[in-house]
Formats: sequence, C-alpha cells, structure tokens
Amino acid sequence: MALAVTVLSLAAMGLQYSLVETRMMAAQTKLLSADLDGFAALYDQRRIIALRQAIDYRATAATGDEMLLLLDRNGSVLAGTQQAWPAGLSTEGDGFAVEPAREFRAGSSRWLAVARELPGGFPLLVARSLQPVDDTLAAMRRGMWGLLAAMLVAGGLVGWLAARSVMRRIGRVNDLADRVAEGALNARLPGVRSPDEFGLLETHVHAMLDRIQNLNLATHRLSDTIAHELRTPLNRMLQKLGRIEGQEALTADLKAEMRQAIRMFDSLLDISRAEADQGTGGGLTPVELSTVATEVWELYEPVAEEKGLVCTATIAPVLSVLGDRNLIAQMLANLLDNAIKYCSKGDELALTLTEDGDRHLMRVADTGPGLPEAIRGEAFERFVRAERDRGVKGHGLGLALVRAIAARHGARLTMPETKRGFVLEIHWPRLQQSG
Amino acid sequence: MQDRILIVEDDAETAATVRAVVEEVGCTADHCDTLDAGIAAATSNPYRVIVLDRMLPGGDGVEAMARIRAGGSTALILVLSALGRAANRVEGLEKGADDYLPKPFEAEELRARLRALLRRGTMQVLDNDLLAFGNLEIRLKARTLHVRRAHVAVSPKEFELLTYFAQNAGQVVTRMQLLENVWNLHFDPGTNVVDVHVGRLRRKLEEAGSQAIQTARGEGYIFAPFGPAG
Repeated sequence: MALAVTVLSLAAMGLQYSLVETRMMAAQTKLLSADLDGFAALYDQRRIIALRQAIDYRATAATGDEMLLLLDRNGSVLAGTQQAWPAGLSTEGDGFAVEPAREFRAGSSRWLAVARELPGGFPLLVARSLQPVDDTLAAMRRGMWGLLAAMLVAGGLVGWLAARSVMRRIGRVNDLADRVAEGALNARLPGVRSPDEFGLLETHVHAMLDRIQNLNLATHRLSDTIAHELRTPLNRMLQKLGRIEGQEALTADLKAEMRQAIRMFDSLLDISRAEADQGTGGGLTPVELSTVATEVWELYEPVAEEKGLVCTATIAPVLSVLGDRNLIAQMLANLLDNAIKYCSKGDELALTLTEDGDRHLMRVADTGPGLPEAIRGEAFERFVRAERDRGVKGHGLGLALVRAIAARHGARLTMPETKRGFVLEIHWPRLQQSG
Repeated sequence: MQDRILIVEDDAETAATVRAVVEEVGCTADHCDTLDAGIAAATSNPYRVIVLDRMLPGGDGVEAMARIRAGGSTALILVLSALGRAANRVEGLEKGADDYLPKPFEAEELRARLRALLRRGTMQVLDNDLLAFGNLEIRLKARTLHVRRAHVAVSPKEFELLTYFAQNAGQVVTRMQLLENVWNLHFDPGTNVVDVHVGRLRRKLEEAGSQAIQTARGEGYIFAPFGPAG
C-alpha cells in the first residue's frame, strides 16, 4: 500500500522533472537564438567588423554564462570571452540559424553551443551555459529523493503500527486456541469485545468453544449415566443370581455373559472418552513406557507360554512418553490378549520397544493367522470382525480401542505387511525432556 | 464391641446385599441413602469402614471424601459404584479411596475386600524381615522363599504375589484384588490371566512340599499354610 503510493508519487515527480527540463532547455535555446539573431543583423550591416566590435563589447561585460568567440581564418582570436577555441568542438554550417546546436563540456559545466564558419573562413562560437538548468534539476532531484525517503519511512511506520495492532489481536485469539488445545476447554478471552471484525471473530470463537465444552460435558455425563443405568439393574440381577442354588453351571454362564456385556460397554465408553479427549494434553503425565510394557508383558507371557507360543520380548529401558499408564496398559493387554487368542501352539509372539528417531517404536508381532485381506482396511473400526472368527469370543472392539488410545496419545499406528501373522507398530511421540 | 460399618447407598437392594455382607464379616451396619446424611453420620460416629456410592442424591461420593476426612473420620473408605471403568477407579483411588469396587459386584468380592480393609487397620507393620508360616519362610529383604529349609526359586512377580497372599493369610483373595494389588491394573482383562500366575506359584510350592495356596471355589484363592481350616 505504502509502496504503491510511493511509486505513484515518484511517477508524478518524474513527469514534472522531465517537463521542467524540457522547458528550461527551450528557454536556453530561445536565448541563444535571440543572440544569434542580433549577431546576424550586425553581420548583415558590416560583416566581420561589426561582429568583432559587438563581441568585444559583450566580452567586457561577460557574466560567465555565455561564451562568444570569433577567429580569423588563421585561427587567431579576433574577439571573444575565451582565449582559445574549445577543444573537440568543430564548426557546422555558415549561417546564424540556431539549428544545429550542440552540447559540450567546458570545465565543470555544460554548454549549448552554435559553432559556424562564416564566409571567408571566420569561425564563430556563440554558446550559453547550461549551469542554471543543471543546478535547478539537481535541486529538484535532491528534493525528490528526500521526499521519497520520507514517504517510505512514513509508510513503513504506518504499516508497522497497523500490523502490530492486528497481530496483537490475532495473537490473543491464537493464545486462546493454544490454551484450549492444551486441554483448558473453559479458557476464554477477558475484557469487552471491540465493535469490529476482531470482536466478531472473538464472539464466534467463544460461541464455538461454549458448544465444544457443552458437548464434551454432555459426552462425559452421558457415559456416566449409561454406566449407572446399565450397571445398577445388572447389579440387582447379579445379587439375585447369587441366591439361586443348585444350578452353578448356569449361573456361572450368566455371570460370564454379564461380564462380557460390561466389558463391551466399558470399551465403547473408553473409546468415546479417549476420542473426546484426543488432542488435549489434559490428564496425561510422564509415564515410563518401558516399565508399563514390561509389566503387561510379564502378565501375559506365562499365559502365552501355557498355550505353547514361543515368546520373545526386547524392551529398551527408560523410554518415556506423556500418557495415561492405565490406558497404555489396557491397549497393550488388548493386543497381547488378541495375539494369544488367535495364535496356536508353536506360533511366535514378540514384543519390542526401541528408540526410533524422534519416536518410540512399539511392535507387537505374531505368526498367527493374521488379518484376512477383506477386513485389513477397516480392522480398527468398531464391531468389525472377520467372518472366520465368529466362533472366537470377542466383540470386535479391541483394535478400535487400541486406535482410540493411540490417538489420545498422539501415537501413530502402522500395519506393515508380513508373510505370515499380524504385526502392529505403534509410533509414540517421545517425552520432551525439560531440564 | 462390634466394629461399625457405614453404608451410603441409594439403591435399596444393593444396600441390603451390602448389609448382609457386613453382618457376615461380624460388624454392625448403619445405612444412609443420601450423601448429606452419609457425611453427617460419618463425621459423628467412629466407623471402621465406609462403603460409599458415587452417583447419590446430593452428589458424588468421591468428591465428598475430602469432607468426610476433614470432619475427623478415620474410617477406611471403600467406593462401591456403577462408575466402574478403569478411569473411574483410578480417579477414585487417586482422590483418596482405600478401595474401589465396581458394580455389579459379587457378595464374595465385597466380603474379601471388607475383610482386607478390616485387617489393614489391625495388621502389625511388616517391619520384621521374616514371615514364617510353619515350614514356609519368606525373607522380605533378601526376597527369598524357603519351604522345609530348601530354597525355592521364584520370579520377582511371583514373589510379590506370594507376599500379598501372606499378608492376607487365611482370607480369600479374589482375582480382581490380585490384579489390582500385585499388578496395579484396574481393568478387566477378559481372560483370567491371573490364574496362570497363581498356578505357577502354586506348583512351585507344591513341588517343594507346601499346599499353602488353595482355590476358593467361585471366589478366588486362599493362602492357608496351616491347612484348609486356616
């Protein structure tokens, strides 16, 4: 903006400059022409003699801004303001017309000169100094540069002030967004809104945050209500089951069914909770991933060994993440439980945890039946189960929960192709060490 | 005098079950069905244990724990709630509950936990290095197990499991209790992973000549080093 104004002003000044230059040059040419007309009239009357007298007379009152010189045919000075013919200047034509005129340099100034050889071989020089023109133009140029600099400074200053005010107000909104992203859903901007677009933006952002906060609260309240309304009647049923005698096998079956149903609802609620909390750092604390992995592995390893699996764990020590220990344990338990469930005697099961660049790589690999190609793309969706696993106990929420917990921690899941079995890699963002 | 246990529970049927269990473990039960009545009772009577619900008329029992403690109660608090997901349980324990049992619960589970809490109040601090149960000796500092003076090699986790059993000798401990106290995990893993660990430890003890770990049918396990009678 400031630049455009500057360029426009510069163009206007440039136009004015060239106009002034043309006008001043025209004025000098006119003066020269008037001089020449005078000399022509004298020459008409008495030729060289009159010219010589006139030039002599003019030379005594020389002001320095004109140059007159008349030579004889041998090149000696007859009359003039100069001692010698200027070097490099040759005569052209023989009349007193102002054209052709020529510019030349003598000393530090420019001159506009008419050099003729009058009949009989008398060179005549009539020239006017262009110094006044050059002085005026130089003054104009200085003025223009000054003005340009002033405009640039002023433009920059105005721009900086405007930008600073805009940036400060955008910065306020950005700070708010940062605080919300860190989990403070109740953060709001203090003070009154200004009656402009920024005020409107803040009002919109606040309205959006209110809505997010309400939805989040409703999600949490709903999961509490579902839990309460589901578990209270189940609890009464369980108490009544306890009073039935003589049908142990049946009651044990019913209890197992209830436990499965509760596990399924818990998984669903855990998934939606983890998804609702995704991206907020709230509630996460530094957790030593290596320790959790070791603990959960030690819990499941004997189970896998009993089933005849070949187990190996390679867990690098002291790798930490920002996380929820309980969720991480639940996730790993799900993966190991799945692997043990689907593998058969002789299959291999391996857990590795290593440092991998700026991430920690957790890898659970087995040589079991793996995922059927048909559900590979949607294995992490809720309630997706392979047709062949209908007979295996489960509800198809295990991997969905794994994905939700990974997302809650900002961890990335990859499923590398393997010849045999199932491999899942979890890339955990490493804990930023502070101090 | 019998120990007193306070039940703060708004569901009558649940309250009746809890009362029955309380009487089974040899205590007298008081019952309140709102949070405010519960807090008033808890701060004016010397209860050993408070069985506290969460979603009560008047508020959340977990949020009220601080008020109960501030009122001078030294009772141990067992939260018994339908908010039973792992996250809820961890939250309750972090806010100061001594135990957290999700609904639906089995009477046996509550009984085992109430017994563990009642014992916790009377148990002498385990400052002595040696826990001896007849011919079975556990050295806590050296982390060794001897049966009939012969060393039995156990893994670190098996040793922790054994120590937890020993601390609750003669009482039924449930699988859920083991998972929470030995593995510090508060979710239901679906399969009974704990059984495999107990089975291994049990086999090692049996090979060395001790029948200390017994199955309590439908309930869990019991560490009875002096025979089934405890």
